[in-house]
Amino acid sequence: MTEPRPPMREPIMTLKGVSKSFGPVRALEDVSFELYPGSIHGLVGENGAGKSTLVRIITGLEQADQGEVLLSGQRVRFRTPIEARAHGVAAVYQDPKLFAHLSIAENIAMGAYPANALGMVDRRGMIESARSHLVRLGSDLDPRRTVAGLSVAEHQFVEIARALSFDVRVLILDEPTSALTPTEAEHLFDVMRALKQRGKAIIFITHRLEEIEALCDEVTVLRDRRRVATLPRAQFDRAKLVRLMVGRPLETLFSRRERLDFGMEMLRVEHLSLEGVFADVSFSVRAGEIVGLGGLVGAGRTEIAQALFGVTPPTAGDVYLKGDKVAPNSPRQMLSKGLAYLPEDRDSDGLIMPETVTHNITLPILATLSRWSVINRLRERAVAVEAAEAYNVLTPSVEAIVASLSGGNRQKVAFAKWLATDPAVLLLDEPTHGVDIGSKAQVHAMIAQLADRGLAVVLISSDLPELLAVSDRILVVAEGVLVAEFTRGEATQETVMSAAAQQSGRKRR
Amino acid sequence: MSGAPSLAQRAPSRNLVQFALRLREAGVVAFLVLLGLTFGLMNERFLTIQNLTIVASSAAILAIAACAQAVVLITRNLDVSVGSMMGLVAYLTADWAANHPAITPLEVALIALAIGAALGGVNGLLVAYGKAPALVATLGTMSLYRGFTYIYAHGQEVTSSRVPRWMLTSVDARIAGVPALVIVAIVVVAAVAWFLYAFPLGRRIYAVGSNPLAAWFFGLRAERVTLFAYMLCGVLSGVAGLLYAARVGTVTVVLASGWELSSLAAAVIGGVSVSGGSGTVVGAALGAVVLATIDNGLVLLHVAEFWRMFIQGAAIVAAVAVDALIAEAIRRAAGGRTGR
Repeated sequence: MTEPRPPMREPIMTLKGVSKSFGPVRALEDVSFELYPGSIHGLVGENGAGKSTLVRIITGLEQADQGEVLLSGQRVRFRTPIEARAHGVAAVYQDPKLFAHLSIAENIAMGAYPANALGMVDRRGMIESARSHLVRLGSDLDPRRTVAGLSVAEHQFVEIARALSFDVRVLILDEPTSALTPTEAEHLFDVMRALKQRGKAIIFITHRLEEIEALCDEVTVLRDRRRVATLPRAQFDRAKLVRLMVGRPLETLFSRRERLDFGMEMLRVEHLSLEGVFADVSFSVRAGEIVGLGGLVGAGRTEIAQALFGVTPPTAGDVYLKGDKVAPNSPRQMLSKGLAYLPEDRDSDGLIMPETVTHNITLPILATLSRWSVINRLRERAVAVEAAEAYNVLTPSVEAIVASLSGGNRQKVAFAKWLATDPAVLLLDEPTHGVDIGSKAQVHAMIAQLADRGLAVVLISSDLPELLAVSDRILVVAEGVLVAEFTRGEATQETVMSAAAQQSGRKRR
Repeated sequence: MSGAPSLAQRAPSRNLVQFALRLREAGVVAFLVLLGLTFGLMNERFLTIQNLTIVASSAAILAIAACAQAVVLITRNLDVSVGSMMGLVAYLTADWAANHPAITPLEVALIALAIGAALGGVNGLLVAYGKAPALVATLGTMSLYRGFTYIYAHGQEVTSSRVPRWMLTSVDARIAGVPALVIVAIVVVAAVAWFLYAFPLGRRIYAVGSNPLAAWFFGLRAERVTLFAYMLCGVLSGVAGLLYAARVGTVTVVLASGWELSSLAAAVIGGVSVSGGSGTVVGAALGAVVLATIDNGLVLLHVAEFWRMFIQGAAIVAAVAVDALIAEAIRRAAGGRTGR
């Protein structure tokens, strides 16, 4: 007879086969793991692996389609974050949501004000309690201060103090350290360890794998919306986590371009900085070259592109277009100088959804299609038809409403729109985000075709296989700094991912 | 160590923001003093006790209406039916009192408050639960309430001879030389200010206006809070309407037309942000005093009527510009996290 195993620890929270779709897009598939009291459970995965969706489901911001969440063995299904909180489940999100006009103490107490016999807010009690929660976090913020004007780190501490002001059993920290200085982060880690000692369960999401190594008792790795592994501390190290996170074969759909004869330098960026966002970024792109910008979401890639496009003009550094120095000031100016930017959220930033394909394509060049300020409709239509054909837009006609097209076709319209301005440099921000696999390949082919025609292309993509397949050269951004450059031969999923997950040391003084 | 900016330094204007938020009311007071001194220097009759009493009396009712508007503005909404609510409450209450001569003051007050609460409640339901944009919803009820007043009145007015005598005399009474009207206004504004400052529901009114998204995350029932704010606005408009009726004696169907704009102007000049979450009813009341002072001063200086409208408009535009600058500073200081 086999010896009965010693009784296992009772998990405080159990996830069983949790799945979630948004329309046709699978966001999470069959994720299961257990969370134990008095432990820190790391949750890692690439951008878009499903971490945020999972957090939202646990805290009641989203509802799972399938599967269940058990809390102390009881099946729970929270409809709001408040219900979750009432059961002792709280999350601190990446971007804190606070009331800017109110004091720190009020933000911490909101929803559960200490009141006196008259039903009035007990301000002294509220401030003292807020102060004690902040002190426990090692923060000496004055609870009477207004939240407006606090730094990101200070916001974060107020959120955590708020979470701890309730009796939490499960605390979820979604990338809490990304905005903290080392001292602040150390405080936070001490607090996490203290909470662990007090028997709380913590789900800790971070891109910094060394933090996972230092703090976590267990780690769950998500990849492509599925759980690929849950490992106890003894069974993982950084290298293994990186392998698990990226371990997927390069999709053969991506056509690797072989080209080495690039033309003249079209874009040169020297020591470009935007105060507090990115610093000292230098690189250049030649005609016909595709330079990939890799890194984690929030590393500052989009901000770099938008600074170059003049959306948020850089605070320091020089930009040269075709050898001429330009000071990016507005998108209008940069478009006229031959630089175009395709935003990531094309539906809200890049296209006018309720308008026709024609109107979208010709919008940036209406002036050239007009005479005496009157648009030449025939020419407008001809340009639109030509562009739609050139970029394979599958549309019943150029008079179709953009909103009625599929994601891939909308992306092609967005391409056609900017290319109608005949740019020399094209900045693409996550061009295949939300695009189905088939259209992805078409978008890749289109990018390659554009480069072959002599455009200098900068491609921002969080999809590693895509970045590796399409780019001639890859620059990696971490925390607002260029941390690595790889030639096509040097770049692999592992090298790029390791570089992206490292600390630049800039924010952590 | 690289010398590059850290995120902790991302809020360069933090002190400025705190300063600006705190000093809004102080700024209004300073402006008021400056205005008073200017008028005083230009006309010796301005700074007399007699004239200042007139200013205070004419500011009193507007202060209450501005207070009503401010409560709704703080929730990041707007009520352009304030004037119509005042008119309807004034008419219905005066008419009721005229037909029931034995009515007591308490009953009159209760009727006015109840009607105000009901009218404000309709606005609140439309905006909070019907999800109608505040401007459109209250623009609708503005016409609706005024139109109902016309229908109900059949073109008649309630003349001063028909309403109970005490209604007319009580507002003209003076306590230690101070008009009763002014005392009522101070008491009402102080009570609302205290409520907004000291009670959980009052604080939630600020929270909902400051960041509706965060309010949802925090589990505040924003709809209820908004409905309540509109009802409070209705009640205060009722008070203002009743006082107005008592003051003018003869209640016509156009009573308090245009007050939606004056109340808005007073609140905005008094530092209540049109983008929600900040400002106080005391500030709004001070804004009413500023408007009354400008009006009075211009009359004493024999400035033509059309200039008064122009100057009042200029004051509103200036106040809104200051408000926009402060709101932008807050947005920047918060790094775009205030959930516009």
